[in-house]
Amino acid sequence: MVESAALPAFFEASVRLGVPLALAALGETVTERSGVLNIGLEGSFIAGALGASLGALAVGSAATGVLAGGAAGLVVAAVFALFVVGLNTDQIITGTAVTLGGLGFTGAVYQARFGATGTALTLPTLSALPIPVLSDIPLVGRALFAQAPTAYLAYALAPALWYFLYRTEWGLELRAVGEAPAAAEAAGVRVGPTRAAAILFGGALAGVAGAHLALAHAGTFSENMSAGRGFIAIAVVVLGRWNPLWVLVAALFFGAASALQFFLQTLGLDLPYQLFLALPYLLTLAALAGWVGRSRAPAALALPWPRETPGA
Amino acid sequence: MGAMGELLRRLGPAWATLLALLGTVLVAGLLLVAGGYDPFVAAGALVSGAVGSPEAFLSVTLVRSVPLILTGLAVALAFRAGVWNIGAEGQLYAGAVAAAWVGLSGGDLPAWILLPAVLAASAVAGVAWALVPTVMKLRLGVGEVITTLLMNFVGINLAAWAVHGPLQEARGVFPQTDPIAAGARLPALVPGSRLHVGFLLALVLAALLWGVLRWSRAGFVLRSVGASQPAARVAGRMNAPRAVFVAFLASGALAGLAGGVEVSGVTFALYEGLSPGWGYTAIAVALLAGLHPGAVVATGILFGALEGGAGSMQRVAGIPATWVIAVEALVILSVLAVDQLRRRVVRAAAHG
Amino acid sequence: MTPTVPARLQGITKRFGTVEALRGAELVVRAGEVHGVLGENGAGKSTLLNILAGMLLPDAGTVKVDGRVRVLRRPRDAWRAGVGMVHQHFTLVPALSVLENLALGLRSAAGGLRLPYAELERRVEALSAGTGLAVPLDATVEQLGVGARQRVEVLKALLREPRILVLDEPTAVLAPSEVQTLFALLRGLADQGRAVVLVAHKLDEVLDVADRVTVLRRGRTVLEAARSDVDLPGLIRAMVGSDEADPVAIGAFHGAETPVAPTGGEPVASLAGVRVRDGRGAWALDGATLDVRRGEVVGVAGVEGNGQHELALVLSGRVAPGEGSARVPGDVGFIPQDRTVEGLVGDFDLTANVALALHREGAYASGPGGLLVRWGALRRRTGELLEKFDVLASGPGVRAGTLSGGNQQRLVVARELEMARDLLVAENPTRGLDVGAASFVHDELRRLTRRDPCPGVVLLSTDLDEVLALSHRIFVMVRGRLTPVPEGARSREGVGALMLAAAHGRHG
Repeated sequence: MVESAALPAFFEASVRLGVPLALAALGETVTERSGVLNIGLEGSFIAGALGASLGALAVGSAATGVLAGGAAGLVVAAVFALFVVGLNTDQIITGTAVTLGGLGFTGAVYQARFGATGTALTLPTLSALPIPVLSDIPLVGRALFAQAPTAYLAYALAPALWYFLYRTEWGLELRAVGEAPAAAEAAGVRVGPTRAAAILFGGALAGVAGAHLALAHAGTFSENMSAGRGFIAIAVVVLGRWNPLWVLVAALFFGAASALQFFLQTLGLDLPYQLFLALPYLLTLAALAGWVGRSRAPAALALPWPRETPGA
Repeated sequence: MGAMGELLRRLGPAWATLLALLGTVLVAGLLLVAGGYDPFVAAGALVSGAVGSPEAFLSVTLVRSVPLILTGLAVALAFRAGVWNIGAEGQLYAGAVAAAWVGLSGGDLPAWILLPAVLAASAVAGVAWALVPTVMKLRLGVGEVITTLLMNFVGINLAAWAVHGPLQEARGVFPQTDPIAAGARLPALVPGSRLHVGFLLALVLAALLWGVLRWSRAGFVLRSVGASQPAARVAGRMNAPRAVFVAFLASGALAGLAGGVEVSGVTFALYEGLSPGWGYTAIAVALLAGLHPGAVVATGILFGALEGGAGSMQRVAGIPATWVIAVEALVILSVLAVDQLRRRVVRAAAHG
Repeated sequence: MTPTVPARLQGITKRFGTVEALRGAELVVRAGEVHGVLGENGAGKSTLLNILAGMLLPDAGTVKVDGRVRVLRRPRDAWRAGVGMVHQHFTLVPALSVLENLALGLRSAAGGLRLPYAELERRVEALSAGTGLAVPLDATVEQLGVGARQRVEVLKALLREPRILVLDEPTAVLAPSEVQTLFALLRGLADQGRAVVLVAHKLDEVLDVADRVTVLRRGRTVLEAARSDVDLPGLIRAMVGSDEADPVAIGAFHGAETPVAPTGGEPVASLAGVRVRDGRGAWALDGATLDVRRGEVVGVAGVEGNGQHELALVLSGRVAPGEGSARVPGDVGFIPQDRTVEGLVGDFDLTANVALALHREGAYASGPGGLLVRWGALRRRTGELLEKFDVLASGPGVRAGTLSGGNQQRLVVARELEMARDLLVAENPTRGLDVGAASFVHDELRRLTRRDPCPGVVLLSTDLDEVLALSHRIFVMVRGRLTPVPEGARSREGVGALMLAAAHGRHG
């Protein structure tokens, strides 16, 4: 029998797990709209988690941790931007290197500081901040409105980014850069700085996402704890059709997929633990297969700029 | 910039590679200093752990290089055809699971049947793992970067499930399989060391791949499709989707084989964390080799030395072994940077 | 003291790598007149105008606007100086709407935060009324045809209220009737007191509309005069340096000799009701019926974007028809219009590029089942082709990307002629080539029909003169359909009228 408390708990877990995806995906939406595919997002994510842990421990406050996480994510993204925008290197390979570097570097720093023994850190937690009245709504109230402040950041960012992209001149310029950089340049928009800014923005948000994961969700840091969430975030951007509002919905949907394991366990189903671990990735694959035909990526996504003309 | 420009302009690909390595060593050294470590002690420990003795060279470096060469070939082949196969890790695990399964079920079958069966199974499993992203790319137009990445995580979990569940050792204590049958194991190449015949297999495959790419029509089609699909399709009347299909699956087979060879030649069992990210390191191996199959052997051994010496570096200099992964990332970035700088300098030098 | 003119470029030098595009070129732009800048492809016309429009910085020389020396580092500097440019390619964002494209980069007083669409719409409407340029504001650019896109480009430039309007090869994408409309517009703008500068490599057109002309040759200004002071032979001499030049290539073709049509014979290729989809799923080729016989040149004229590429792909066997039947021979050569993308692999050497087409031939395959490539034989053949077709390259081992455009095309033509035992399909084969290279291509095409056995040739070109000069039979291509051109209509006006009729007919 499903206990009456199981469903609200499932919703709450869905949102809590979906928030880091949402933050990273919203940031990546802006990045991809400028024509850059940042596979190095995973590197920003894990750097954010470690940065937040170290920052929170150093000062004793989770809020500082979030800021530190964002800064760490931004630094990693800056390396990516330096290569992709500054040197015009291939986005896919550079992104892979940045992710590898992020994982290796954070792992090494963590082990160096805390030893490889495996005793878990205890971090100052980013506790939930319930919004009065809204958090009393039955079933979904606590799930949506009794979360850590980073969740509210995600809620606020989605419509804000939508407005930015579609109703402001800067957003128009960003979209033009992602669709036809040559045309944007001819119209006076500077492609390089625009893309660099978009990359940094995405990296900072991924860092905050990592901070949320460490401080609000897990309460600790462990190596490779990002577990591919940066990559899932990129898939979420595709599913959300590069529209911030839909990206938020898709992210919460994936949070639900991750939370499913707890829910199904309360139902008494005895499925292998690893199947639940694999579920988000399988679902992402299925969703990509089902939805892609109907969405259109920014036309210049992942293409080098300036284009390398043969023999030029 | 004149003399330096002239120097860089004359750089062939080999010199550019060396320059990239130099850059990596420099940056890595600086970062170590910033972290309070002694880079020379670290380097010394790494080198001695990797090549300090014949024992080390054979049993550590060369043994470690086998999966790197095989996955490096897989990645090089895919990239050459224009396919971004970032999924070598998952394909490797799939191959390892298949190899373990066949190796455990083989019972008393003689080696000349069981061993090829184990290796074939691992290659087929690798193909199967690459099939989903391939079909999604060719039929549905979904980019293979994300799909192969996602399949990595599914593959790792598949292996974890196997060793916690159906393939777990008989006494059921640890998440690992029983040792595989004797007939399923690759014989030693150099008696007394851990170096197994798999190393020879890797060399043969590298030579074969080189020959195919350079001399065969299929290889030319693959290279053309990878260099420019429009030109291949229009000027060459080549069947680009078919070339991509074959290259992608062959890449999966090689990566799967890497997993099978590791199980059959080194560990003789399957457990979690079999691969410390070889599928990703393979990208560095392939890139540093300029996607050339022959050079992949050299870079594979180089990275084998790097990873082999990491343990020694941790013991002697106290630097966590994961640092090596960061160094591998630095290698990729260095190669990219040197390549781009070289192009710019060539253009600037041609300015007159 | 020299009088102040809206713009004066002096001593402009510009290098791209080892190529000197401009060597001390000069240009004087006066208010109230239409100024034509002439020169063959590669003479430096576009480069000079790009410098005036702030797209490029000169290596040497001065740019004076209203008497003051300006450094125009980027387009925005040029706009502030009052120069607006209508580009040849790539300056509209296809996925965005016309209104968004017009708004892009305008930097209104509201700052980056708001999009002042209402005000922009008002300004656009006023401009449209004043110039007769009508554009659908809500459509996305990719839904528009080439002519409409150009109107958007012109509006975009005019929105910045330039005193000098520069147009780079605007007539290349227009049908003859649309060219007249454009020239009327330019005339009107000049009469308002603006300065209009027009680049073209087609003599006839420019002479129709220009008040003054400047001729560039090999990066230098060789002639600057009022229209009334020059004659055709003088201009040709200035452009090419001699009295003799291929009139088709130079845009001074006055369509005389119709090539003698071959007699009878079986068709070497036939299409019946063929339909092919384009990249977005629409029928780009919409029911084509065509026969090609050995020894004849079939010309297909039409403005870009009417399905020519799809027709070329079907005829050359690269693509199967979505509907209808296509019977095409096996030995087909295809010269694609985009040689750097579809014709050559820039990173491969010349031998490998030749191998792209020849690798399937029995002579170059060896081993069991023809599995292996005989690179030695291919290298030798490539060397022979390089010599026979005068390709300027140090050897078969150089990267194709290092060759100039003209030499790349020579290589492609050489290779495809090898393959074309039954049929040759040539798509805009002289686009972007200088007069010498263009003449070479025309000669090879003519020579092809005198081979034995001779293949059929299909020539698809947006250059009307080329089609008129070389073809036995002519078709006009509009919106994916072919309309035959009767003998009596074999002229620019005749073909232009047919295009117009076909376009309106399709509207129903």
